Amino acid sequence: MNSEQQHALLRKMAQLMQGGLKTQTEPFPETEKEFAAILTELRQLKADDIEGKMVISGFVDQPYGPDKQRCMECMYYLVHREWCDLPELAVPVDADWWCRLWRI
Amino acid sequence: MANLLWLQGGACSGNTMSFLNAEEPSACDLVTDFGINVLWHPSLGLELGENLQKMLKALTAGTLALDIFVFEGTVVNAPNGTGEWNRFAGRPMRDWVRDLSKVANFVVAVGDCATWGGIPATAPNPSESEGLQFLKRGHGGFLGKDFKSKAGLPVINIPGCPAHPDWITQIVVAVATGRGGDLTLDEFQRPKTFFTSFTQTGCTRNMHFAYKVSATEFGQRKGCLFYDLGCRGPMTHSPCNRILWNRQSSKTRAGMPCMGCTEPEFPFFDLAPGTVFKTQTVMGVPKDMPSGVDKTGYIKLTAAAKAASPRWAEEDIFVV
Repeated sequence: MNSEQQHALLRKMAQLMQGGLKTQTEPFPETEKEFAAILTELRQLKADDIEGKMVISGFVDQPYGPDKQRCMECMYYLVHREWCDLPELAVPVDADWWCRLWRI
Repeated sequence: MANLLWLQGGACSGNTMSFLNAEEPSACDLVTDFGINVLWHPSLGLELGENLQKMLKALTAGTLALDIFVFEGTVVNAPNGTGEWNRFAGRPMRDWVRDLSKVANFVVAVGDCATWGGIPATAPNPSESEGLQFLKRGHGGFLGKDFKSKAGLPVINIPGCPAHPDWITQIVVAVATGRGGDLTLDEFQRPKTFFTSFTQTGCTRNMHFAYKVSATEFGQRKGCLFYDLGCRGPMTHSPCNRILWNRQSSKTRAGMPCMGCTEPEFPFFDLAPGTVFKTQTVMGVPKDMPSGVDKTGYIKLTAAAKAASPRWAEEDIFVV
């Protein structure tokens, strides 16, 4: 994916969330087993099913929860690429977004 | 000339294989350069049957000096505390271990099984295995917490699964050449010279650890293995990245997470499904922090490190 395609996809994802896309922000996976179950769901999607990925992983376009968690601090986030490096997601993301696969 | 005897209890022979690959010094150097007389070893010993029994009896009777008793593998107590599941030279191995430990100048436990029970002692521990002086983190083990060898030292623990070959031979040489008294041991009776620093010390992925860039798949050269793949390098005491394996590399350098095998709890989480090669978290935060770091500090550090990380930290810089 080149830079232009990446930005186009980022815009598309942002528009989906601005348009009210309902995603599964809860329950947050408290254990590895729960985390793994979400990954299993994601693996069943086609690689280009962006909306499906966003719904299952609970994307929101703002910091989340009392601790204001955001992609910026997540271990999967590559700051300079503005990219989520979790293989099951592998999508462009904004630093101020969040999803329930957040890990620090 | 120092007499050395090496026996195996509940073992896979991994530490023997490791020992035979030693380089600095090598197993041969022990004999030719350091005057160690290997009385018997499972892979090297010549005596068989009655001759071996005769030698072991001479050792326990004190008519043949035992300077260094090296034990590999667990002390097997099953069934019902008899040790009959692991017989050797006509009697339970545990009985030999008890008698030989009484007459040895130094007792050296090599590998996790001999030190604290290792994998055989993992619940439900059907072989009733224990280490020589520890069972996991609990002090005591087969010989009891007050045991001291004739030289006045407790069991010298050289853990690892397996222990690095040069840790073994260097400690044996120190003891054989009269420098055993110089050894300082930590709370788990590991020689401090090897087990004070961390596996992470010298890891080539430290830059990625510092900038909080994670490896997300095995074999990736970019990224730290601690964040996602369960690496225990930041909280495991070993010199694996200072004294390299095969003089070449280490697990973490090769993209394989450290499993913490020099710590008493190994294997961690009793090998429950999903706990191996996966960092255990609570609400997204690692359960086990790098040694000495608390949760608040960790979160603050992550935010700062991410914000400061350079572009190259996200790239594979190990180009051929």
